[in-house]
Amino acid sequence: MTVPRVGEVNARARPISPARRWWRARPSDWMVRAASVLAVLGIWELFGPLLNPIILRPPSQIFRAFVDLIANGELGVAMVQSMRVFGAGLAIALAAGITLGIVSGRSRVVYNVLDPWISALYSVPSVALVPLIAVAFQYSGDAPRVATVVLFAIFPILINTQQGVRNVDPGLLEVARAFNTSERRLWGDVIVPAAMPFIFTGIRLAIGRALIGMIVAEFLVGLAGLGYLIIVYQNTFRIDKMFVPVIVVAAFGIALMGLVQFVESRVAPWTRREQ
Amino acid sequence: MNRIVVESATKRFGSGVLTVFEGLGLAVRDKETLCILGPSGCGKTTLLRCMHGLAHLDGGRIVIDDLEVRAPRRNVAMVFQHFGLMPWKRVSENVAYGVELAGLPRTTIDERVGRYTEMVGLTGFERSYPYQLSGGMQQRAGLARALALEPDILLMDEPFGSLDAQTREILQDELLRIYQQQPRTMVFITHSIEEAIALGDRIVVLTARPARVRDTILVDIPRPRTVASVVAHPRFVELRDHCWRLLRERLVA
Ligand SMILES: Nc1ncnc2c1ncn2[C@@H]1O[C@H](COP(=O)(O)OP(=O)(O)O)[C@@H](O)[C@H]1O
Ligand SMILES: [Mg+2]
Repeated sequence: MTVPRVGEVNARARPISPARRWWRARPSDWMVRAASVLAVLGIWELFGPLLNPIILRPPSQIFRAFVDLIANGELGVAMVQSMRVFGAGLAIALAAGITLGIVSGRSRVVYNVLDPWISALYSVPSVALVPLIAVAFQYSGDAPRVATVVLFAIFPILINTQQGVRNVDPGLLEVARAFNTSERRLWGDVIVPAAMPFIFTGIRLAIGRALIGMIVAEFLVGLAGLGYLIIVYQNTFRIDKMFVPVIVVAAFGIALMGLVQFVESRVAPWTRREQ
Repeated sequence: MNRIVVESATKRFGSGVLTVFEGLGLAVRDKETLCILGPSGCGKTTLLRCMHGLAHLDGGRIVIDDLEVRAPRRNVAMVFQHFGLMPWKRVSENVAYGVELAGLPRTTIDERVGRYTEMVGLTGFERSYPYQLSGGMQQRAGLARALALEPDILLMDEPFGSLDAQTREILQDELLRIYQQQPRTMVFITHSIEEAIALGDRIVVLTARPARVRDTILVDIPRPRTVASVVAHPRFVELRDHCWRLLRERLVA
């Protein structure tokens, strides 16, 4: 039996890159995952140094480098520098992206005002604009790095929010009208919740791109933070130490994705049906 | 006394290319159930949307309680073919939606939500989300949302059309029970002849597009009814055959 439901009109309008729902993996899934990681680490530990002793430093040595970098405070300082920039940049990108996305999703005029700029900026590889940002902010302080993070992160969240708002089921908008919904309640009752899965997908994509922006800015503009550590240890051929910030960034990204998915399951529990 | 009067109503779509209905006229009397029966795509939903002020006529007018319809009114409620539940609201929140917007006091809202949730048989599912419910249960919630407004006029757009036969009959019986306890004005759209006879006091049969009123039939089967008692009634077969002929005439032609 097929039961047409409201929302089915929209069922095909999925957000870009649907969420990976790994937190509901079964215990057996986790065992396979753990085994995979341990196997690769084991092979790397045993055979890596035989292949290329300079580049493929064994995990045990990387772990020791990790402990060293924590002990001498280098890692802590770099993390604080990076997180400050990442946090500020992502916060600005999300606030601006969601606001502009909602407004431009509802208003034809605002959409047309923004669209050429979004299309132009989004089709240029963001990296290509980083030197421009550096010059514009005169290489000083956190500002150019924050701006880079914003540049990297804002488009996925803006575009997804916009799509979410534009794809609100017209059937539900009519239901809202049929019950005399005020414009203010329309936003809270219909438009924003309908856009919620798209917004969360946008946030996940934005986090990934914000991390890239952060590292790129640290490579090219700031000479600070985790990205700078990577460059320093690359130049001095301390590949074991070079791996540490890389792993920290990866772990941070994974933790943040998990957090977002947890928040989504709390804020938007009805989207569970979509998996 | 007439509650709703549709006078030579005309509706077109696509800047006039598609004429859905033209010069359509009908009246709905106080406290009667008027079933509107017509083939798929003949414009039944469009007519109901116009009755509720969700779409506007290109000619003629629709009058409810002596006032021309321009926008949805507080004393009219609608049940949708597609159920129209908000996926992000729990059953109780969906049922409360209309009464909240009507600005009733909180205690009245809670009391109505409880009463109508129970009346449609959804007690125990108040905290469920629509995706956790079957189609029949979703439409029960849609029905409770409309009933909770205690509207003078209920507009039903093929509410049971997408349900399986068994669920449909259960809900038809419950609707009969609810409305026989407390008769109010109802416009019930359907493409099912059996449903129109079971629920209606009168049936307006529409032709295919552009829709006109082909005929109006009085359903002289006494109340209280159940679907089973209607089907078993000697008049049922005659009425059904009559409706069939009216609908088929146009299809064959
Ligand atoms: N908003 C609309 N814009 C254009 N055409 C429409 C619109 N709504 C309905 N139609 C067309 O009007 C006709 C009648 O539709 P509808 O009222 O939904 O029929 P029914 O409910 O009887 O099946 C159909 O041909 C449909 O495609
Ligand atoms: Mg219809």
